[in-house]
Amino acid sequence: MEGRVEHGLARVLSKQDFDPDHFVSKQTEGGEDQLLDMKQKIQILSDETAHALKHNVYKNYSQFIETAKEISILEGEMYQLSHILTEEKSLMSSMMEMSLVSDKAIVEQPKEQTQENPEEDTRKNLAFLLEKVEGCSSVTEVPGRHLIHNGDLAELDAESFTQIQKVHAFLLNDSLMIATWLPNRRGPVRYRFQGLYELDSLAIVNVRDAGPIKNAFKILMFPDAKMYQADGAKAKRHWLDILEETKKAKASRDKQKKEAAILLAEQQAHTPEEERKSFPIEDDSETMVAIETDCLNADWIQELPEDLDMCIAQRDFEGAVDLVEKVNEYLKDCPKVPVVKEFRSRIDNRIKQLTEGLMGELQVSPERSLRGGPRAARRAVTQLIRLGKSAQACDLFLKNRSAIIKYNIKSVKFEGATTLYIRRLCDVFFPCLSETGKEFTKAFQDHYGCMSAFVVWAKEELEMCVNTFNRHVFGGKSTLTVISECVQTARQHCDEQLCSIGFDVSFVFEDTITPELERVVQENRDQMIEGIKYRGNDDKWRKMNHLKEKECSRFLEEMMSVGLDLKPYVESDCFVALTMNTAQFAKICMTMTKDLLTLHTLELSPLITDTITEVFKAQLLHFEDSLKNPDFKTEHKFILKNAKYVLETLMKKVEEQFKTRSISFPKQLVSVSGKYKKLESLSKSSGS
Amino acid sequence: MSKAKAQQPAVIHKVIMVGSGGVGKSALTLQFMYDEFVEDYEPTKADSYRKKVVLDGEEVQIDILDTAGQEDYAAIRDNYFRSGEGFLCVFSITEQESFQATAEFREQILRVKNVNSDKSDDSIPFLLVGNKADLEDKRQVPVEEAQQRSQQWKVPYVETSAKTRANVDKVFYDLMREIRSRKMEASKQNNGKIRKKEKSKRKCTIL
Repeated sequence: MEGRVEHGLARVLSKQDFDPDHFVSKQTEGGEDQLLDMKQKIQILSDETAHALKHNVYKNYSQFIETAKEISILEGEMYQLSHILTEEKSLMSSMMEMSLVSDKAIVEQPKEQTQENPEEDTRKNLAFLLEKVEGCSSVTEVPGRHLIHNGDLAELDAESFTQIQKVHAFLLNDSLMIATWLPNRRGPVRYRFQGLYELDSLAIVNVRDAGPIKNAFKILMFPDAKMYQADGAKAKRHWLDILEETKKAKASRDKQKKEAAILLAEQQAHTPEEERKSFPIEDDSETMVAIETDCLNADWIQELPEDLDMCIAQRDFEGAVDLVEKVNEYLKDCPKVPVVKEFRSRIDNRIKQLTEGLMGELQVSPERSLRGGPRAARRAVTQLIRLGKSAQACDLFLKNRSAIIKYNIKSVKFEGATTLYIRRLCDVFFPCLSETGKEFTKAFQDHYGCMSAFVVWAKEELEMCVNTFNRHVFGGKSTLTVISECVQTARQHCDEQLCSIGFDVSFVFEDTITPELERVVQENRDQMIEGIKYRGNDDKWRKMNHLKEKECSRFLEEMMSVGLDLKPYVESDCFVALTMNTAQFAKICMTMTKDLLTLHTLELSPLITDTITEVFKAQLLHFEDSLKNPDFKTEHKFILKNAKYVLETLMKKVEEQFKTRSISFPKQLVSVSGKYKKLESLSKSSGS
Repeated sequence: MSKAKAQQPAVIHKVIMVGSGGVGKSALTLQFMYDEFVEDYEPTKADSYRKKVVLDGEEVQIDILDTAGQEDYAAIRDNYFRSGEGFLCVFSITEQESFQATAEFREQILRVKNVNSDKSDDSIPFLLVGNKADLEDKRQVPVEEAQQRSQQWKVPYVETSAKTRANVDKVFYDLMREIRSRKMEASKQNNGKIRKKEKSKRKCTIL
C-alpha cells in the first residue's frame, strides 16, 4: 500500500510537466500531519533513489570494466595480427634476397635480358622508380640509366649509431639514389627522394665492427658521411658486392669513353657537379603538384593505376583494357606537362604488365593444357588487338595453334596400316588448319596485314605435315595401292576443308609430294616390266587348269573383283582358255591402272600414260617373241588368242577406267591396241 | 638501442690507416682490435672498426678506417681521407717502394685536409709507421732514412710489428693523443676555455 503511494509520488515528481510551486502549495493546504507524512515519504523515496543510483553506478561500472577488457583483448589481437604481418613481410623479403644472392643464375638472367632489350628494360625500371618515389622524375629522365638493385636500409647516425630513419636505396647503373621512407603512406608512393650520389667518387666503407650494430656499412660522399644498416649479413654482403661491381662497370665504361674522346671526358667531370646542384631540390614534387593541371585531379584518374592493378590481378583483362582505352582517350586532350608525362609512364608500365599477362595466356607452356580450341585464345587475342599489339597477338596465336596441331598429331598413333594412319592424320590436321583459319579471320577481321602471317604459317604447318606424310607413305615399302589411297585422302581433305574457307593450299601439297610420286611410279613400272620378262621366260603357252570346278570358280571370282570377266574362256569346267601369264598380267594391269588413275593429275598425266604404255609394250614384246620362237610353232593360235585378249579385251577395260574418271584415253594406248594386226601377220609369216 | 647510446663515450677519435697495399694496415688494425695476427693476406676494400678504449684514464672511442692500399680512384680516396681526424701512414720496412709511396699519401692527405705543410702549428695528427719490424733481416728502409723523412715532416716515426705486437698500441694511442690535443686546441680557439685534461696529455699507458 505504502509502496504504491510512494510509486505514485515518484510518478508525480518525475512527471514532465511537474510544477513544484503548485505541488508544494497543494501539500501545505493539508496541515502539519500531512506535511510530516509527506516528508517521510519523500525521505523514503530519496533513500530508495540513492540506493538505485548506487546500484546503477555499480552496474555501469562493471559494464565499463567489461568493455575495457574487451578493448584490451582486441588490442592484443590487433597487435598479434600486425606481428604476423611483419613476420610475413620479413619472410618474403628474405626469400627475395635469397633468390638474389644465393642463386647466381637468377641474377644473371635479367642481365641477359637487359642486353637483349635494353630500351624496354630501362623504361620499365624507371617507371618503377616513378611509381615508388616521390620527386625523382629528374632522375629517371637520364637516358640509358637503369636500376640494378634496390632494398630497404636503415640510416644510422655515423657517430652514435642510432637509427635516424628508414630509407630505400636504389642502385642505378651510374649512381646511388637514396629515398626516405614515408610512414603512414598508402598507395604506390612510398618514398621521398633524398639524394642522388654519383658512383664515381662514392667511397664505401664496410663497417666490420661497430660494437652492437651489425650489418652496417658507410657511404662517404663529401660532405656527407652516411651510415646504413642492412637487414642481414647476406643483404649487406650483396650491397657491398653489387656496389663494387657497378662502380667497376661504370669506371670501365667511363674509361672507354675517355679513350674515345678527351673532350667527352671533360664534360663528364663536370656533370656530377651539375647534377648535384640540380637534384637536392627536394620540394620539386611539391611545386609540381601545385602546378598540376586539373586534368589529373579527377578521382577516377587518380585511382586508375590501382584499378588497373586490381583488374590485372583478378585477370579481368577486358576491364583492364576498357580502362586503358578510357585513359588513352582522356590523356589525348591533356597538355604535355611533366606531371602528365609521369602519369603516362605509370600507365604505360601497367599496360606493359597487362600485355605480358595476356601474352602469358597465349604462351605455350608444358603445364598448360592444349585442349581448348581456338576459341579459348580468342579472349586474349581480342584484348591484345585492342591494345594495339596485333602483331604479337597474331604471332602468339599462331604459335599456340602450332603447338596444338603438333600435340594432336603426336596423339595419332601409328598402328601398322599406313592408310588408316594417314586418314587419321588428315582428319586431325586439316580440320585444325581450317578451324584456325576460320578463327583467324574472325579474330583479326580488320587486320589484313596479319592475314599474310597466317598464310605463311599455314604453308609452314602444311609442309611439316606433308613431311610426316611423306615419311610414312613413301618411306616404307608401301604398295602403289596404299600410296594412291593415301594421296587421295589427303587431296580430298585439302580440297574440302580448306577451299571451304577460301584457302587453297593443294598446290603446295602437290609440289611437295610430286617428286616422291614420280619416283614411286617409275619404280613400279620398272618392277612390272621386270616381272613380265621373268614370267615370259617361263611361259609354256598352256591353258590354265584348275583341276576342280570349285577352284576354277574361285579364280573367276578373283578376276571379277578387279573387273575382268573370264567366263567366256572357261572350257570343260576347270580349264580357262588363257595362259596363267596372261591372266596375271591382266589382273596386275587392272590394279595398276586403277591406282595410277587415282593419282592422276595434269602434271602426272604423261608419266601415267607412259607407264601403262610401257607395260603393255613389254607384254606385246613377249607375244612377239613367242610367235617367233620355233618351239611354240604349234601354239600360234593360242598365243594369238591371248594376245587378242590382252590387246583388245583388256585394253577396253583400261579405256573404261579412263572414261569413268573422265580422263581422255591417250593415243599411245590406242596405237598399242592396234598392234594385234601386226601379231597376226607375224604369225602368218613365221607359221608358213 | 638508447641504453647502448647512453653507455657509449661521447668522444670519438677517427683514425685512418693509409699506405700501399700489403704493408700491414689491416694486420695492425686487427692486432689492435682483437689482439690477433692474421697471416693470410686478403686485400682490403675499406673496413671500419670502432672500439672503446681508455685513453689516459678517460673513456673514449676509436674509429678506425682501414683503407685499401690498392684503391685506384683518387676521388674516392679523397672521400676516405676527409672523414679522418688522424692518420697512420704505414709502410713496410722490407719494401722500399712502400716507403716512397708514403710521400704521395701525405701529400694527398694534406691537400684533402687543406693544410699547408709548411705551417707546423696547423699540421694534422699524423704518424709515420714502419711496419714489419720483426723482419730485420729483410730490411730495405734504414731507420735513419725514415727518421730523416719524419723530421722533415715534423711527425713522429715509430717502427711496429703487427706480428709481435711491438708498438702496436703505442701508435694508436699516440695518434689519439695527437688528435685529442688538436681537438682541444681547436675548442680553445673557439671558446677560449682551458680544459683540465690537457695536463695529463703526455702520460704513457703502454704495457
